[in-house]
Amino acid sequence: MADFGIAAPSVKVADGKSATATGKSLSVVALRKTYGGVVAVDEASMEIEAGEFVTFLGSSGSGKTTTLMMIAGFCEPDSGTITVGDRDVTRLAPQKRGLGFVFQQYLLFPHMTVSENVAFPLILRGVAKNEIRRRVGETLEIAGLSGFGGRKPRELSGGQQQRVALCRALVYRPPVILMDEPLGALDKKLRDQLQVEIKTIQQELGLTVIYVTHDQEEALVMSDRIAVMRNGLIEQFDSPRELFERPRTPFVADFLGAANFLPGRIEQHDGEHTLVRLDNSGGLITARRHQLAANTPVKVAVQPGRLRACAADDGFCTGTVETATYVGTLVRAGVRIDGGDGPLVRLEVPAGRGPVAGERVGITADPEDVNLFADEQAG
Amino acid sequence: MAATLTANAPARPRKLLASRRTRVGIVYALPVVVYLLVLFVYPIFSTLLLSLKDADGSFTLHWYADALTGVNLSVLITTLRISAETAVLSLVFGFVLAQAITRLRPVWAGLAMLVVVVPHFVSALVRTYGWIIMLGDKGLVNETLTAMSVPGAPFQLLYNELGVVIGTTSMMLPYTVLLLYGVMRGVDRRLLAAAASMGAGRVTIFCRIYLPLVGPGLASAGLLSFILSLGYYITPALMGGPKQTMIATLINQQVTKENQWNGAAAQGVILLLLTLAGLLLVKLVSSLGASRKKRSAS
Ligand SMILES: Nc1ncnc2c1ncn2[C@@H]1O[C@H](COP(=O)(O)OP(=O)(O)OP(=O)(O)O)[C@@H](O)[C@H]1O
Ligand SMILES: [Mg+2]
Repeated sequence: MADFGIAAPSVKVADGKSATATGKSLSVVALRKTYGGVVAVDEASMEIEAGEFVTFLGSSGSGKTTTLMMIAGFCEPDSGTITVGDRDVTRLAPQKRGLGFVFQQYLLFPHMTVSENVAFPLILRGVAKNEIRRRVGETLEIAGLSGFGGRKPRELSGGQQQRVALCRALVYRPPVILMDEPLGALDKKLRDQLQVEIKTIQQELGLTVIYVTHDQEEALVMSDRIAVMRNGLIEQFDSPRELFERPRTPFVADFLGAANFLPGRIEQHDGEHTLVRLDNSGGLITARRHQLAANTPVKVAVQPGRLRACAADDGFCTGTVETATYVGTLVRAGVRIDGGDGPLVRLEVPAGRGPVAGERVGITADPEDVNLFADEQAG
Repeated sequence: MAATLTANAPARPRKLLASRRTRVGIVYALPVVVYLLVLFVYPIFSTLLLSLKDADGSFTLHWYADALTGVNLSVLITTLRISAETAVLSLVFGFVLAQAITRLRPVWAGLAMLVVVVPHFVSALVRTYGWIIMLGDKGLVNETLTAMSVPGAPFQLLYNELGVVIGTTSMMLPYTVLLLYGVMRGVDRRLLAAAASMGAGRVTIFCRIYLPLVGPGLASAGLLSFILSLGYYITPALMGGPKQTMIATLINQQVTKENQWNGAAAQGVILLLLTLAGLLLVKLVSSLGASRKKRSAS
C-alpha cells in the first residue's frame, strides 16, 4: 500500500508523443453562473499554478460543484473565462479540455468490470493492450483493489467504488484533475488513508488538482491553497496557514477555525498592536495591528486552540468553567465570562493541565492570534 | 408452464403441509393455479392433442408434415420474414422516437408519450382502415407525392409486403417506444458526461456507453414486436395481398372455411414453439454476452 510504484513521469498522451506528466496551470476569471435568478457562482476568479493542490471549501450549496462543472465544461458559465495552460477552454466541449474528473457520485460504467472501467480512458487514447493491462493493474494495486478487476461496480462497496473512480481518473494522468468530494462517502480511516494516497500521487506526478470538500480538516491536510466559498463567492483564497491565522472575513475565521467572536471597540493603537475594549467583560485585549479608527465597533476573533487559561484576573477576561470535555489529548472547555451574557467562550487546552468545571480561570491569548473584523451590525 | 406447475405440486414432507404458513400459502396460490389451469394449460394441451390426432383418433404426425411443406411452409417463412422486418423497423423508428422524446422537457415528453400511446386505444381494425385510406392510389400519401411530381408516383403501397410491414410496424411502435423510453430514461446521463470528461467523443460515447446500457431494452423490444407480429392477424389480412398470407390468416382459413381443426392446431403449436424459440434465443444471446465479458475481464 505504501509503495506507489509510479516511477518515471513519462507518459504517452493522446497523440502518441511522449510527454512529461506534469500538471498545467489553470486560471478562472470572473466566472459567473445563475440558475433562473439564483446566483450559484458569483464572479469567481483565481490563478492556480501548475502542480498545485487547490481545494474549494464551503458549506452545502455554496457553489463548489457548479464552479467545478464549469471548469470541466459540463455547465456553461453565463460569463467569464477559463484557461488551462495557455489555452482558452471556456467554450470547448468537455472531452476537448484534457481534464480528469472524479464525480461526487462515482459514476462508474455499470456494464463494465472494474478493469474495463479503469482501462476506458486508456483505450480512448489508443494505448497498446499490454501497456493498458500493466497500467490498470498498477493503478488498481495502488488503490488496494488488486483482486477486484473482474467485478462489476455493483458488486463493490461504496468505498471500493469510489476508489475505482479515483483510479479511472488517475490512470491516464491528465494534467489537471477535478475531484468533487471524492472521499465523501468513506469512513474516517479510509478517508485518511486515501487522502495520503491522493496527495502522494499528486506530488509525485506533479499533477494540478482541484478538490472539493466541506471537511475543513481534509482541506487543511491536503491543500497547497484553499478557496473558501460562501453563497457563490470566494471569500478568501490562500494557503491553509494564512486562512487559519489571518482570516480576512469573520466567515473564514468561523468556518476554518471555529473562532470565538467577542464584540468590542477599538481603544487605541499601540505600536505593532491594537487594543480593544471588550463589551462584555470590559477587559482589554491586545490584537494584531489593525487599521480601524479608535472607537470603531469590532468583532474580536480567536480560535479555541489559541486561547490559554491562566490565573483568574490575569487575562483579558475572567470567568467560570461551565463545561470541560476530554477529547483525547485535549480538553474542550466552555467558560462563562463574568458580566457576559453571550455564548460561552470555547477553549482547547492540552489535557492534564486542563481546567475543571466550576473553576475560575482567566483567559489570555497571544496578540498574533487575535484577529479583528469591523462589526457592520453594531452601531 | 406445465412443467413448473407439476414440479411445484408434490409437496415433500408432511411437516410442510402441516405448517400454518404453507396452508395459508396454498389458499393464496389457489386462484392463480386454477386460472392458469383453466385458461392456459388446458387450451394448450387440448390444442397439442388435437394436432397429434388423426381423423380416426389415432396418433399421427402428418398435420405437422403438412404444416411444414408446400404452401404452408412458404406461409410460415413469409410470417417469419415479415415479423423480422417489422421487428427491425419498429426498433429503428422506436429508437429514434424514444430518443427524441427523452430529450424533451418533462411536460412535452409526457405529451409526446400520450400521442404515441393513444392510438393504441383505438381498435386495430379502425387503424388499419385508416392506413388503407392513407396509402391507397388516391390516398393522402400518393396524392402528395404526385402533387410534388415525385417520379414514379403513385406508388403501390398496399396489398403487398410493403403495405403489411407499414401496417404492422405502426401497430408495434407504441410497444417499442414505451419500452425503449423507459430504458432510456433509466440511463444516467451523467455517465455520458463522465465518459466525455475522459476524452470520449460523441460517437464513442454512443457506441461504448449508451448502446450497451440500452442494449437489453433493445433486445426485449425487438423480441416483443417480433413475437407479436408472428401471430398478427387483422393488419396483414387487410393490407397484404395473397402472397403476404401470414400464419394466423392461414389458421383462420382452415378453421372457418375448411373446418380443418387438426391442421390448424398443428400450425398453432408451431407458432407457439417459434415464439418460445425466440424467447430462448434472446436469453441465450444475453447470457452469452455476459459470460464472454466475465471471461475477458479475468
Ligand atoms: N441544475 C441546477 N438548477 C438550479 N439550481 C442549481 C442547479 N445546480 C445547482 N444549483 C444551485 O446552485 C447553488 C450551488 O450549488 P452547488 O451544487 O454548486 O453547491 P455545492 O457547493 O457543490 O454544494 P454541496 O456541498 O451540497 O455539493 C445551490 O444553491 C443550488 O441549489
Ligand atoms: Mg457539490
